[in-house]
Amino acid sequence: MSIAVVDARGWQNTLDLKTGEKIETTGPVIDMVKGVLQRHPYPGDMDPGSNRWVSDTALDLIDRYGPRFVFLAYAAQYFSGRYTPMTKEARARMISDVFREAERFVSASGFAVIVVGTGDMTPLLGFINLTRLNGLAVCTHWSTRYAGLYEPSQDDMKVLGEHPHVERIIPREEVVGLFNGTPDQASRVPEYLILAREGYAFKTISDAMRMPVMIPSLNFDIPLHAPSHAVGAITGIRQALEKDLLEKNVALIAVEGVGLDEFLWPHLPCRNGMEWYYYEPGEAQYLTIVSGRHRFLDYPTGSGYKYFNGNEGTTRSYPFSGHFKSLPEGTFGSTFPGKSIAVGNKSMFMHMVAGADLSIECFARNLYNQGTMAVIHRQDKL
Amino acid sequence: MYTVSEGIIRERFPHRWSSCGSYVLESMPFYHVYPGSQCLAIGTTSCNFRCRYCSNAYIAKEDPEIQQGRLYHLTPRELVGMARKFNCRSIVFNVNEPAVSLPSLLDVAEEAKAAAIPMGCLTNGYTTVESTELLASIFSFFNVSLKGISDSFNRTYIGVESSSPVLRTIRRLAQDRHVEVTTPVVQGANDSEIDTIADLLAEIDPEIPWHVLRLLPEDEMKDAEYPNIQAIDAALQSARKKLPYIYFHNFISSQWVNTLCPDCGCTVIERFSLGCGGDQLKRLFCKDSQCPDCGRKINLMSEQACFKSTQRVLQ
Ligand code: SF4
Repeated sequence: MSIAVVDARGWQNTLDLKTGEKIETTGPVIDMVKGVLQRHPYPGDMDPGSNRWVSDTALDLIDRYGPRFVFLAYAAQYFSGRYTPMTKEARARMISDVFREAERFVSASGFAVIVVGTGDMTPLLGFINLTRLNGLAVCTHWSTRYAGLYEPSQDDMKVLGEHPHVERIIPREEVVGLFNGTPDQASRVPEYLILAREGYAFKTISDAMRMPVMIPSLNFDIPLHAPSHAVGAITGIRQALEKDLLEKNVALIAVEGVGLDEFLWPHLPCRNGMEWYYYEPGEAQYLTIVSGRHRFLDYPTGSGYKYFNGNEGTTRSYPFSGHFKSLPEGTFGSTFPGKSIAVGNKSMFMHMVAGADLSIECFARNLYNQGTMAVIHRQDKL
Repeated sequence: MYTVSEGIIRERFPHRWSSCGSYVLESMPFYHVYPGSQCLAIGTTSCNFRCRYCSNAYIAKEDPEIQQGRLYHLTPRELVGMARKFNCRSIVFNVNEPAVSLPSLLDVAEEAKAAAIPMGCLTNGYTTVESTELLASIFSFFNVSLKGISDSFNRTYIGVESSSPVLRTIRRLAQDRHVEVTTPVVQGANDSEIDTIADLLAEIDPEIPWHVLRLLPEDEMKDAEYPNIQAIDAALQSARKKLPYIYFHNFISSQWVNTLCPDCGCTVIERFSLGCGGDQLKRLFCKDSQCPDCGRKINLMSEQACFKSTQRVLQ
């Protein structure tokens, strides 16, 4: 059973990750994790200390657990860059702080690193309003490139086809065909996928109320710092990781909201998708990195687009795991025989995408800081 | 928000919506209305309060003029059409104070009534007698935020002189509307009022569901301590004897979000709490609003009751 320990600032609860039910259980790993959560209250998504929290929490876990594989996500600059207007200089300072934080982690832990930037950000130029269509348009508020479209009228198609900020409208068959999707996967793909041009975001219902100032760019390629490896595509990162782990302890670090333009360490461009598709920052991008195969159709909401689900309010498994309804297969942590941990401040999906023995992440929804959550998938390796 | 021109009070930005999305009713929160159903949640801009801890300060406290670029422009018909497209059983106003947008909401109510979609709202209840009647003509279910009782608390934390208008509103609405009440607890400021509030609500109607929220320090209180969960739970012990439907939440994995039968104590509705705005239905055990064990009536807003009440006022 995978166990979640939530820490709502000064109050901890132990739960069955799958059912969300409270459970009474103890053990050396649970006690150790509870102590780590207690010592590291999360400062908040846009707090200057947010990335430091990731390193400090990871270093504390490393001291106590001794993992060979560590997966970290630094995301404070993604949230701040997205919502806070800042000068070029302030942004450059913010980005250099992230890399300094990564350096601090590396020198304190002694781990070798592979670092991937999840993609550049660009100023928001405007919205493509999809709220007045006859059909139904859906989009996650974190996504800017993709929106799903159902039952469009002829007028809708004409308006969208002529819209200066819409790049393409792609029918379901083409989307499914690109990734060799199964019928089950196809059923979650909208009738059409609408693609926005760079700088534009879709306005659909259920948007976040906060106005972004920067959104992800068209990141067909992302930067990868993987010394002594030549990795051409996002699906090749796992192999590099496996190779390095044969010889040394390795940390895989995802730097959110940083792409080829701003990545400060030596790097090579790495293909971030296929043909017209690239991953926006989110669950599917992480899953693709750690599983070594494209996961675009497995986790639609985390891939940047959304499908319409009329039963969103009904009971489901993994209530504390964001959009996930089951444990994803093929994650790196779940197959790695050594000890593994993951720590991140990009919301509650690290424990699902990493599959690490132990994960700690912030529990923040729409930037509201509610505390932290640890997930224990394995207790038998301590 | 309103402006006065040529002696007439007008709404400044009619039919401009800061939010419009489909969510479960539990997340508003409404715990005793159509469990597990989707609602179309809408909001406008501005507020008649200035709570120091407002979670939506960037909407409620910002000048609405500068927010116009990102607002939804939707007519009442389009809003109701959206509710239909997304299988929403109700429309709920939940971001800021509905009393600052009454004309637009009256328009939406007319359209919603024609489509047989009931409306609900979250309100601070600080309204005149006349405005309260207008709210009652629009909405059939309410969650009124009773933030604190004492004048000093209201002056310091909310920016108003007294809670009397709010209590008057609760009394009025509880007569013929479904009412739930919410109180965010600010430790050291209004936690000492828990018993007084419970007494007041019990006197109005002991069946009122009361949501006691652990304050999430935001806005001007961003650096405040998170209130202590055990201490608030302990402070609620005697209140639980007066009001059978007390919930304590607004933090991850709260265990105080289930509905228990007031007579036999069996669990009639189970929920998950994901913290602020993330609550969900887990299991619904009661049938026809009755306890499955002892048959006691549970205070759940039913379809029939809701349509009766809106029709009475709107026709
Ligand atoms: S009443 Fe609500 S919206 Fe208005 S200021 Fe207070 S918390 Fe904010």
